[in-house]
Amino acid sequence: MSPQLTLQTPLRLPPVEVKSYLEQLWENDHSDSPGANTFCLLIWQPAWVEQQLARTARLSGPIIGTQREELIQAIRKVILEEDLPHCTSALDPKICNILEKYQGSENAQDLRGQHVDSAISALQPRRLITLAPTLGNDHDLETLVAAYCPLPEEGGEGESACGDVVVLKGDVNSLNKNLNILEPLLPSELPSWLWWDGSLDEATDLLNQLSTTKMRLIVDSALGDPSNCLNLLNAKINSGQAVNDLNWLRLRTWRETLAMVFDPPNRRNALNNVVQLDIDIEGEHPVQGLLLASWIADRLGWILKDRQLHEGKIIKAIFERATGGNLHLNLMPLPLGNPSIHPGQIVGLRLICDPEGSPNESLCVILGAQTGECMRLEAGGMARMELLEEVVPNQSTSTEMDVARLLSSSRGRTSPLLEAAAPIASKLLAC
Amino acid sequence: MNTPITNPLRIGLRQEKVIPPQCLVIFGASGDLTHRKLVPALFELFKQRRLPREFAVLGCARRPWSDEEFRQKMSISLQKQIKDEKDSWDEFSKYLFYESIDLNQSSQIEKLRTRLENIDKLQATHSNRTFYLSVAPEFYGNACRALSSSGLLNDPKRSRVVIEKPFGRDYTSAQSLNRLVQSCGQENQIFRIDHYLGKETVQNILVLRFANTIFEPIWNRNYISNVQITAAETVGIEERSGYYESSGAIRDMVQNHLTQMLAITAMEPPGHFDPESIRNEKAKVLKATTLADELEPWRCCVRGQYGKGGTNSSPLVSYKEEVGVDPNSTTETYVAMKLFINNWRWQGVPFYVRTGKRLAKRRSEIVLTFREAPVHLFETTGGRPTSNQLILRIQPDEGAEFRFEVKSPGSGMSSRPVDMEFSYDQSFGEPSDEGYVRLLADAMLGDPTLFTRSDEVEAAWRLYTPLLEIIADTPWQLPIHPYESRTWGPAAADDLLARDNLLWRRP
Repeated sequence: MSPQLTLQTPLRLPPVEVKSYLEQLWENDHSDSPGANTFCLLIWQPAWVEQQLARTARLSGPIIGTQREELIQAIRKVILEEDLPHCTSALDPKICNILEKYQGSENAQDLRGQHVDSAISALQPRRLITLAPTLGNDHDLETLVAAYCPLPEEGGEGESACGDVVVLKGDVNSLNKNLNILEPLLPSELPSWLWWDGSLDEATDLLNQLSTTKMRLIVDSALGDPSNCLNLLNAKINSGQAVNDLNWLRLRTWRETLAMVFDPPNRRNALNNVVQLDIDIEGEHPVQGLLLASWIADRLGWILKDRQLHEGKIIKAIFERATGGNLHLNLMPLPLGNPSIHPGQIVGLRLICDPEGSPNESLCVILGAQTGECMRLEAGGMARMELLEEVVPNQSTSTEMDVARLLSSSRGRTSPLLEAAAPIASKLLAC
Repeated sequence: MNTPITNPLRIGLRQEKVIPPQCLVIFGASGDLTHRKLVPALFELFKQRRLPREFAVLGCARRPWSDEEFRQKMSISLQKQIKDEKDSWDEFSKYLFYESIDLNQSSQIEKLRTRLENIDKLQATHSNRTFYLSVAPEFYGNACRALSSSGLLNDPKRSRVVIEKPFGRDYTSAQSLNRLVQSCGQENQIFRIDHYLGKETVQNILVLRFANTIFEPIWNRNYISNVQITAAETVGIEERSGYYESSGAIRDMVQNHLTQMLAITAMEPPGHFDPESIRNEKAKVLKATTLADELEPWRCCVRGQYGKGGTNSSPLVSYKEEVGVDPNSTTETYVAMKLFINNWRWQGVPFYVRTGKRLAKRRSEIVLTFREAPVHLFETTGGRPTSNQLILRIQPDEGAEFRFEVKSPGSGMSSRPVDMEFSYDQSFGEPSDEGYVRLLADAMLGDPTLFTRSDEVEAAWRLYTPLLEIIADTPWQLPIHPYESRTWGPAAADDLLARDNLLWRRP
């Protein structure tokens, strides 16, 4: 992470004066620099875990709201202290519930909104507005404003102002009361994104208020109750909102690798004869696994016939293939010791294609996050078939990096593939 | 059930950079290139959902068309491509606009400016503009001056100019044109297009070389004995006699397309994959390239011109009989030459370059021939061992093959060559985009990596200056060798390699 280079020290202003101050800033103080003609990013950044860790002296300040190694290490320590399953991922929202019960009243400097990950600032956002809710309910709204220019190594020239940052900090009530100042701060001529950098279980009303139809929404369906996450995805997509899911984005290497296997035309016929699909995930958050299975089902025209929950955690389903005949899906949670920071990441996939009456054409595709996972999926006689194996290392990028990747590559509209997969995933979960 | 034509898992996976809101202004919109290449490429980008909603194409030419007429003309020209995609075309054609502009009249640029401001309001294109000069080269100067004087190029981040080939006729004219366009805008606003660089297979040379560890250690004079670069066409000059008579094969193909292929094949690895690093390396290698014999260039170059050919049922006329061609023309339709690159990596390795019209096959390829094994231990079925060859097929049948010796089956220990193949078709099963699709998108993204910089263009012209001077002043020193249509060119071209004990590859 590199600090944002601001042209001015962030200025504390009364909320009502923010708009006029920014207008003056661009019209008078920086009249030679019209600012980047890019996009605005509104960020809901509660950083509850970071705040709780700082409050309980488990993490030294300042609070910056972005992912960093010290934060992840502090969380892993809590997982061990609390005897939580080792497969609990660092961003699991239940960590926050645990920390709430701890005693402590350490004060740490809160610099949220003033430190922006270099991957995002390299995109030269025109305006970054951070909503930074604080713990407790005794913090009136403070508003900070500054112009910034990107560092030369971030693609900026480091000479003229490129954009500005606005930080709205206060308890949830004070933020809620002052939401009306946001609308005028979002220039209508530029695309605006709302990044919900928190659990989808919290502040649903606020999320609904902020995600007006003109906003392009960024959420992470790995954060929150799985049903809530999928319901929200589907509701937002159905309402016509442009939705971008980071959990879906992180599936990209899996989708790309699986597609790559079937690029050679001589393998495509096997896709008509899939008889079994097994997906293994880390921990118990099934949304990413369900989205991957649903994407495959949608692309290959499978129809869901039945689904069941086994032993309270294994999702089993039966699909009918477009060419007739059934196939079985098994979505299995695995208790891995050193999980990714993102809950429910996929660790393995096995796709078995077995054309009836042509055993010589049987094909088994195994994708694993590690070679060990590939070996596990090879068991059970898979070697009798033509075996295609690839290792697909899970991305260990930070959420900020994922967002930057999204901002630089997305057209802002909901991916039609996600739009088609999300309803199937909901049906699979509703067992 | 039949094998699906498209990989169903591949659909929608390509993730490309987002083209920002903008208006693409095409000067010369009534010309051939617009309906043959540019609008189809834009339609392809639209179908791939790569164009932003805030987008417009403003066609400009002298003809007094309305927006609707322009849309209809394009729709008629693209009839074949859009017949099964009527809905998409209807949607796309809403982005097409037209303004009648004569670039020779300076007053008309105000009309253009007003129209662009209206389009900005209508399509929310935020004053981001790409100006595409698809006009005759003599209008490049006027167009750039007009755009510059009206302030339309003032903001280098929001405006850029794409210039089609030919960029100059020789070193001096290229220098003048560079000075002129650079006086109108910054170098990073100027995109000199070479559609060969838009080809997937040409870009693949960079990936093949710099993403694999096995090639780079042997990609040098210690292991490679010679390099052949071929761009062969089966077609004649078709209806371009006016242009071709004044250009010939050196200006039409060698100075740009073949030289760019040479630069990408021979350049040093860049430190980063960014436009300037790549273009620095290309410019450096071009500056180090010379004709094999600069003092007596006729010794390293062969010119040819196609004669009659074909069969009784479909005879082909000679170049001199083509409509619009001078019956005594000495314009070359074929050229072969030998070059050297004077740097640490390539010293002494000959690069043979050839291109021609009405040759036996349509084939563009780069062939790297490796040095022979130092000791021949085995008998060979072909008399002597074949040198290893890496063949990069640019078009058609895009891919690569590697030729090496294996044991011939049987009780003896004789060797014979075999080919290891990579084919885009067999590996990916889908055709790659036309070069213009990639290059138009890159220009609108402001990414100049695949466009030639001023110093590259000048270095390329400087390289061929001795030949162009001879052709202009003492053409008898570089005589035209006639060759039969649909053959591999004149015998003199074979002699060029025979002197080095080599043969052209017959693809």
